[in-house]
Parts: sequence; structure tokens; C-alpha cells
Amino acid sequence: MRFIVLRRKTIPRYHTWISTAISLILGILVYLFITILVGRSPLEVLVNIARSFISPSIVKDFFVLIAMGCALLISFKAALWNIGGEGQFYIATIPGILLTLFIFNPRHNPAPAPLVILLVALTGTIMGAFWAFIAALFRAYLKIDEVPVTLILNYVAYYILNYLIFGPFKGRYVYGYLRTDEIPEIYRLNVRVHLPMRGDPLQVALQNLTVQLAYYIALLVLAVLIYVFTWWFFKHCRIGLYTKIHGSNPSYLQAVGVSVNHIILLTMTISGALIGLTGSIYLLSELGRIPYEIERQTAGYGYLAILVSWLSLLDLKMIPFSAYIVSALRNAGIALQVAGLGGVEQSLLLIGAILLTYSITRFLVEYEVRFEW
Amino acid sequence: MSSKVLSTSANISSAESVENVILSARNISKSFPGPVIALDRVSLDLYAGEILALLGENGSGKSTFVKILYGIYTPDHGEILMKTGRILERVTINSPADAMSKGILMVSQVPQLISKLTVAENMALTLTSLRIHGVKSLTSIKKILKIISEESEKIGIKIDPNEKVYNLTYTQKQLVEILRAMIVNAKILLLDEALTYLPLLERRKLYQALLKLKEQGGSIVIITHKISEAMEISNRIAVLRAGKIVGVVNTWETTIDQVRVMMFGEERSKQISYVKVQTINPRGEPRIIIRNLHVEDDYGREIVRGVNLTIHAGEVVGIAGISGNGQRELLESIVGLRKIKSGDIYVDNVNVKRSGVKNIRELGVSFIPDRLLEHGISPEESIVENIAACTVRNGINIPWGLIEEISRELINSYQIIAPSTKTPVKYLSGGNILKTIVAREIENAKKALIACNPTRTLDEVSAIYVRRRIREKAVNENLAVLIASEDLDEVLMVSDIIYVMNTGRLYGPLTPEAPCEDIEKLMVM
Repeated sequence: MRFIVLRRKTIPRYHTWISTAISLILGILVYLFITILVGRSPLEVLVNIARSFISPSIVKDFFVLIAMGCALLISFKAALWNIGGEGQFYIATIPGILLTLFIFNPRHNPAPAPLVILLVALTGTIMGAFWAFIAALFRAYLKIDEVPVTLILNYVAYYILNYLIFGPFKGRYVYGYLRTDEIPEIYRLNVRVHLPMRGDPLQVALQNLTVQLAYYIALLVLAVLIYVFTWWFFKHCRIGLYTKIHGSNPSYLQAVGVSVNHIILLTMTISGALIGLTGSIYLLSELGRIPYEIERQTAGYGYLAILVSWLSLLDLKMIPFSAYIVSALRNAGIALQVAGLGGVEQSLLLIGAILLTYSITRFLVEYEVRFEW
Repeated sequence: MSSKVLSTSANISSAESVENVILSARNISKSFPGPVIALDRVSLDLYAGEILALLGENGSGKSTFVKILYGIYTPDHGEILMKTGRILERVTINSPADAMSKGILMVSQVPQLISKLTVAENMALTLTSLRIHGVKSLTSIKKILKIISEESEKIGIKIDPNEKVYNLTYTQKQLVEILRAMIVNAKILLLDEALTYLPLLERRKLYQALLKLKEQGGSIVIITHKISEAMEISNRIAVLRAGKIVGVVNTWETTIDQVRVMMFGEERSKQISYVKVQTINPRGEPRIIIRNLHVEDDYGREIVRGVNLTIHAGEVVGIAGISGNGQRELLESIVGLRKIKSGDIYVDNVNVKRSGVKNIRELGVSFIPDRLLEHGISPEESIVENIAACTVRNGINIPWGLIEEISRELINSYQIIAPSTKTPVKYLSGGNILKTIVAREIENAKKALIACNPTRTLDEVSAIYVRRRIREKAVNENLAVLIASEDLDEVLMVSDIIYVMNTGRLYGPLTPEAPCEDIEKLMVM
């Protein structure tokens, strides 16, 4: 028997969407099969997963993952594997805490809120950029792979934050908890809408969605802005083109007179800057304060965003779709835990099953497999 | 399971007996994403003891065809039959190793040898993987040395088996490849532009080796862009156009002009003219000056040894020489891609010794590299993106409208075969990739053009057009041009002044009227 793999000459229209949808369904079926094997009710599990896909509670994760997925896409397109989203995200919260709780604390040194918010965003962006820049320097000038460096920097960021929360950033109004004080309300970016939450389930769901969208309006604006920026960067910007070429053939860049090292530094810095910006807006929108130990409190956005970026096959159009899937699956995992249908491994198992079927369907979209006897 | 099929006369494209068919390719089709149809139901028979020349313009499917025979590509449709005893048996060729085990070997333009190993060690790798001549492990080196010495004596090739491959000349490397074919008892040898650009004397040495293989009943397929080479060595000529066989003729029954018409059609073959664009300007001011240049190769050996050269505006300087004598390194150092050990390079009186590629390009210097896939293109990006990366040097936004227009013009004028400007370059044929690079660099050049083998894989019509454009640019736009080419005919055709590069040194200047034999002697001395 002969096993032949051939690249398809024509790839079906809307293949990305179709293959993702098929792999999603197949992945859930695989997961259900496993749950049946361990003696759980597949129907109950399925209902919980389905609910997560239409739950308004995923909007926060959805917006954050779009923003961070785009940021990582920029470095991944350049074949620069920025695994340090976590570190860049959380290190960017340091200047935010410093500005809102210490320098411009309204109790003793009030300042115009828009100015402080702008400063928080700006310094967060710089901090995230700086964190990625360190790894880029190692990569560009010492030829040290960026994967271990960005990964290690995640832990350095965690420990710096933990040290600060334990020491200089330790709150005074925290009732004995180890965390920073709450960021003053005037600097927060949430819009609180109060709706009656009455009517049929659809009406309640819509009201709930409205409340969530209003509350995370800053994250929504951020996601849109970063998405548009990323589109412009790859579509129209010269550096964006160089970034893509770096991912394909850096020697060509060198031959046309573009400094490969500069592109490494620029790409990683831009990626880190966007993650830093997301981290600072997340601080003002969701976190409100930073608890000790930070690594146990995080949603793992830095790592989930890697999944988002990969699931999109580095295709910007697919980022919102993969961000939606990943945020829904993360919430499904939590819902399954809450419903007593398993532990924390549920989300991992579910995501793993979908990734498996996704990899297979993606392969089959691009390649034809033949058996010849 | 393989099916056994008796060869029928319907598949035979010559009057020769069916009995002599050694390999039969039937209805072979192959497409690539894009969609690019490389081969469309190609049927071709190969006879024992013949040399078949496979000709065609760029993108006609020649390389795809031999790559299918060598197991690099799998055909979409069709079958390959090989002679086993007296019958033709259907075979599947899964990989080059599989092809070798069936007695099919390919030698391409770039020698497929590991430079850091000796000739014997390279040979050992092949023999152990095929487990022939009783060589089962790499430790059987004494046995391998004996085999090499016996086989090379048989066909009159003199090679020191203990020599490291990087110390061999290009011709010697190609000889080692042919020797390898002999040692593994190749029944079919596929030569993809392997000998085309060797000097005639060197080429004839290799022809002798090929004739030995032929006498032993082996078959040889030669791909070449030079019809004269096909006429000299082959028994039959098969011509491919747009993925289809347009004709198979006995070499002794045809003429160069008839083959040209088969390759390009009546209309395009009329464009073939070897009239040189004459220099009308008086020699301009010195544009590039090279003083006592020393450059090292990738292994840290001095490969350019004290080169002095001046190229004036409006002048084309050609460097002839066999590949591997320092031409590539010399050209790369001029454009800043390679570090200079010592010496100076001036462009318009500016010392660019440490300027870097960016500054040298900004001085108006264009570069057609030797390593096309490394320095010439980004394969994942489209034609228009590749052109933009080289053309747009300032500003944040890329003026896509303008770049699109430039790209379309280049595609039209250089007859690049591509579905659109948005097609990723990786889907183009080798010749069309070269055309894309050459078009971009020639038309971008403002002050100087540094080119390495600018027409190496181009068909005759395209090569003539490129050479004419280079001369027009030099003459009409006062460009200083330096061309290093393995193709002596090209150097003679395009240059005002000729140098020969041998073991890192430049010999000359000579005029294009100098006897060819004198130039070839300098190339191989």
C-alpha cells in the first residue's frame, strides 16, 4: 500500500470558516465521548458547553483575547515566538498602580482623570514594549532564542509584581489581605448600566449582554483599535511588510538593505507594546487592584492568546473567531467545574480535543491524502 | 502491488523498437496551487542507450517532469513504467532514495554533495543507504576507496577520493556526481542543467563519461536551455510547451531553427536575435572602483585574492569563470552582503567598504544575487510584495497603487508567467522567479547593476531580452554594469570588457572579440 500526501491545487472557498466549524463540532464530540467513558452524562456536559457559547459572560475574555491575539500575531508573523504575553501584560500594570494609587491618588494629589488614564495607558504600553524589547535584544544581538527568554521573563514579571504587592505596593485598606489598594473610582473605565433583568430568557440574556458590554466598553474599544491597527500594519505599513518577510526569508530583507536586527527589535517591541496597553486598560477596567500571588490570579491571557493566534492560522480575519472559541471554551471549563462535572482539567481537555480535530481538519483542507494499492 | 503492463506502440514516440524502452511515462499530469498546470498528460518513452534532450521555455514543465521521475514530486495523474526483464512494470517512485534504488539518478546545476566531507565519505553515504556493492556501514571506507578507484579508472575520471568536497572545482563536483551514478549502476541519469555552463573542454570531458554510461545501456535525460548543447550530445529531442509535449524528434533529422519554433512558436522564435546593442556613448566616469580586494568564503578561506577593477558609467564589464572561483563572493562584497577582509570599494567616489547594503542600495546600486532563493525573494509573499520590499525605501505607508502598476509593467515586459501580481512567489517556476528578480533589479538600477548569472535558468527568448535590457540600461541610462556569469556566451554577448576569474584572481582585461579558446584556457588553467 502506498500512502500519498498531495497539496491541494484549489482550496475550497470559505475553507477557514468551514474547517473551524467542523473541527469545533468534532472536538466537542470527542470530548463528549471521553466524558461518556468516565461515566458522566453527555447531555449535561453538552448543555453546559452550549450555554458557554451563548453566555454574555464571555465578552471580557473575548475582547482581551482579540487584543492580545492580534499583538501576538504581529510577532508570530515574523517567526518571532513571543511566549511572554503574560509577563508583558502584568508588568504593564506596575505604572498603572504607581500613577493611580501613589502619584495621583485623589486623596492627596488629585489630577484630571483623563490625563491620568492616558498616562496609565502610555506608561503601560512602554512597559510592555520594554519587556518584549529585552527578549528582542537577546535574540537580535546575542542570537539567543526568544522562546525561553520571553517565557522566563513571564516569571520575572510575576515575581517583581509579587515583591511589590508584598512590599511597597501593599495596600492600607485591604482588611489583612495581601493586595494593593483599590484603584480610585474616577480612574476606572467601566460604565455601569442597571437593567431590570426581567422578561423571557432571550430578553434577560440581551439585557445581561448590554450590561456586560457597557461594563467592558473600554476593552471593546481597545480590541477594535488594536484589530484595526494590526490590519493597517500588515496591509499598508512598510514595517508590516518587512515583518512578514522576516517570517519567510530574513536573508531577503538583508539583501534589500533592511536591518534584520532592527526588524526583530521593532516587531517584538510593537507586539509587547500592544500587550502592555491591553494590560493597563485591563487594570483600569477589570482588575482594579492587584492581589498576591499574581500568577495564581491570572486568567492566563498570555498563554490563551497564543492559542488564539495559532487557531487563526496567523490569519487576522480569523482572530475574532478563534478568540470567541477560546473564550467560550475557557468559560465552558469553568461552567463544568461549577456544575460539579469535573475539575480544572475539563477546560484543558475540551480545548485539547478541539485543537486535535482542528489540526486534522486544517491539514485535510490543504492536503489530499490518497491510498494506493 | 504493482501491475505489469506490456508496452504498446501507441505510447512510443519514435520508430525504435518497443523492446528498447527502459522507462515509459504515461499521461503524467501535475498541478500546483495557484492554480499552475505544470504538466498536462505528458507521455514520453525513454530508450536504453540513448541521450534524450528535454527542451522548453521557462515554466514549460521540464524540471517538474524529471522531479517526478526522481521521486521529488508525486504526479496527480498518470503512471510510470520501468523495464523489468522483458516487460514494462508499473512502478511508484516515492522519494529520491527510492529512485536511486531503482537505478534513477539526478544531477542538478547545484552539486548535491556535502562540502565538509570527502569524496569517499559522500559516496559512502549513498552506498550505505542503498546497501549496494556490499557496503553496509560507513566504516567500510577501504572498500569504498577501492570501488571509487576502479570505477573512475573505467570511465577515465581522475578524482582524489580523500579530497574534501569544498576543495573541488565545480567541474570536479559534477564529475563526482556522475561517478556516483556509475557506481550505483544507474540505468537512467537525469541531468537538470548540470553541464550547460561548463566551458566546452570541461563539458566534453563529462560527455565522455555520459557516452560510457550510454554504451553500457544506460539512458540519459538532459535538460538544457542551450539548443546547441542538445544538438551536440543527444539522440532525440523532446520539447515541452505549457506542460504539454509538442514534439519528439530525432536530433539528426532536425535543425536549431525547427527546435526553436517547437519551443517558442513561430512568432516568438522570430524575436531571437543576437545583434548586440552597441555602446554609443564615450566611456563615462569611473563609477565603481575596487582596490586590492580580499574576501573570505563561508569556510573562512580567502576566495577573492587582491582584485582590482574599475567599472565606468555606461559600460558592461563581464566576468567569466567556472562557478566557485570567487565570483559570487566578489559580487556579494561589492553590495555589502559579505565582509571584506581588506581592500577598498568606491561607488561614485564614496568608500563603501563598511557602508552596509542599505547605504549601497541607496547610492543606486542594484543586485541580482547568485543565491536567488536566499537573497532574491521572499517565497511566501506575492510578486507585488516582493517588489515593494525592494522598491519602497521611505515613508510609513506603501503606495500599493504605484507598486501594482510597476509590477504589472514588469510582468508584461519580462513575460513573467504568473496568474496575478498577488500570486505568492513560491508558486512560480524557477525561471519565472528569476525573471521577477531580474526585472525588479534591472529596472530599479539608477547608477550600477551588479549581477550574478542573470539568465542562468532562462529560456533563449527571455535570456536575450534580459541581456538586451541590461545593455540598453547601460548605454541609454549610463549605468555601470558588472556581470559575473558561468555562461561564457552570455559574457561575450553582453560585455564591453571581459575578465576571467580563476582561483580568486582576475585575469584580463580582454575584449569580446578575443578568441573563445583563450578565454576558456584562462577559466580552466
